[in-house]
Amino acid sequence: MLFRTALPEAFTELFHRYKQPIYGFFCRRVPDPANAQELTQETFFALLRAASRYEPRALFRTYLYAISFKILRAHRRKAAFRAAFLGHRNSVPDPSKQDTTESRMWVRRAVEKLDPIDREIVMLREFEQLSYSEIADLLRLPLNTIRSRLFRARTALRELLDPSTAAASSEAQKASPAKVSQSAVAPGARKGFRL
Amino acid sequence: MALLDGELRVDRSLFVSAHIADCSECDKTTDSVRNVSTSLAKWTVPNMPVSIEDKVLRSLSHIKNLRTNEFLSGLRRLQSLQAVLVSGAGLVTLWVFFGLNSGRHYRVASKIAAERDLPVDNAAPMASSPTSRATLSERGRNPITGRDNADSQYYVHKIPFQAQPGYAQLETQQPPMIARTVLLSIVVKDFDAARASFDAILARHNGYAASLNVSTLQGSARTLQASLRIPAPQLAAALSESKALGRLENETQNGEEVTQQHADLLARLKNSRETEGRLQDVLRTRTGKVKDVLEVEQELARVRGEIEQIEAEQKTLEHRVEFATIDLKLAEEYKAQLNTPAPSVLMQLRNAAVNGFRSAFESLLALVLFLAESGPSLLLWLAPLGIPGWRLWKRYRRAQ
Repeated sequence: MLFRTALPEAFTELFHRYKQPIYGFFCRRVPDPANAQELTQETFFALLRAASRYEPRALFRTYLYAISFKILRAHRRKAAFRAAFLGHRNSVPDPSKQDTTESRMWVRRAVEKLDPIDREIVMLREFEQLSYSEIADLLRLPLNTIRSRLFRARTALRELLDPSTAAASSEAQKASPAKVSQSAVAPGARKGFRL
Repeated sequence: MALLDGELRVDRSLFVSAHIADCSECDKTTDSVRNVSTSLAKWTVPNMPVSIEDKVLRSLSHIKNLRTNEFLSGLRRLQSLQAVLVSGAGLVTLWVFFGLNSGRHYRVASKIAAERDLPVDNAAPMASSPTSRATLSERGRNPITGRDNADSQYYVHKIPFQAQPGYAQLETQQPPMIARTVLLSIVVKDFDAARASFDAILARHNGYAASLNVSTLQGSARTLQASLRIPAPQLAAALSESKALGRLENETQNGEEVTQQHADLLARLKNSRETEGRLQDVLRTRTGKVKDVLEVEQELARVRGEIEQIEAEQKTLEHRVEFATIDLKLAEEYKAQLNTPAPSVLMQLRNAAVNGFRSAFESLLALVLFLAESGPSLLLWLAPLGIPGWRLWKRYRRAQ
């Protein structure tokens, strides 16, 4: 409520509190850090524009992540449109700005192999530290679906991050890359909820 | 899993923790999940650049200005609202002012017109004076057709003439002949009863209907329009009874003096008869050539024809004198009627089914006709346009 009434002071406080989580949210989902910066900025601008309409029906954090999700979806849609119809390729990450640490790259690749919904759930839980009910509100999924999918995602990640499993997987990838790319295609992407 | 995420209640959490302490398999699972979280925690992101931070915080000052602008625009909106209200009030004042003035002018004009106009009910008594006769003659225009009543076939009749002193010297000794026509417009509640009363009035006063027209239009009141011929002496009684049929909406009485016309006819008739007599004398007493005799006979035949024509006109005029004309318009008070009762449910179902089958067949036929007519063109254009579109859509789906 303070955010709606005393906007500048409250916004400054909220910005300092959430700037890094929101930037991290976009950095982990968008390959190009420049795009992540732009989307972060856009999220806070959207928050400012919508301040007069804010109603505290849920946690502010959920509200902010909902805005971020909308902006992320719009960005992905535009990128897909540009790639499909205008011939622009999806933004290729600049190697100099990419995660250079091997462990980071390993984790990123493992997470990218997950089903899109499972990936979002596990990322919201692990990185954004949202509770199950917040994730359910945000993704508009039942709470038990969140629980089961989180378990499935963690199990999959355990297998993907296990070095022995990873080595086997790497060999299999070298042997038949088409198969791996096929497995990387999200089965959940065809189930109605699009991320 | 929920234990590690802190989503369990305290009692459940204690219970599960105790179980994990005892169960090696669960302990192993917990460790693996914890390892996953630890591994994921390695995916860190750099701090947000200060430039973005500055840019966002700078926008705050813009928002402050925006708020000030909003305040100013709100003030302007308020001012414009006030301007609209003031303009509206001014318009209402002008309207009231001019409306009152025009109403006053209208009332004054109506008053003047009423003073100038003659009351219609007083037309009969006023006809006894020469002035009133002149007025009646001026007003003797048919309000419906706009033509002079003298041009129409309105009947005339003789009315008792109370001559003013000295008037007898001005006019001939004949009583004046005044054509009386009355226009009545009456609204009745019970049309059928009024129609019966109307027939009874006609029979009682030995009148007849020269024309009668009853119209019953759907969604409107019934009307009767009739042209009645009533013997002149009974006109007043017939009028009063007709007025009692319902609410009188309009009454117009006209009188036209045709005495001069009648006198002219008499004079022409007298002259023609004298001419005829002289011609007969010539034919009887004088002798001459056959050509002259034939000419006299021709002239006699012409005069004879003229006499018969004048006599017919005289008879018609005198016959018309005996009857007055009442143009009566009876209108029923309009009562909205409910629609005719709907047909039965079965009939409605049957009609709906028939209509449904018909429309289905028609739509199928229209589709077949459309395909037959446009199918080749569609196929022709589908190949060059549809296939690239389909490929683009596939690419779009893949890119997403």
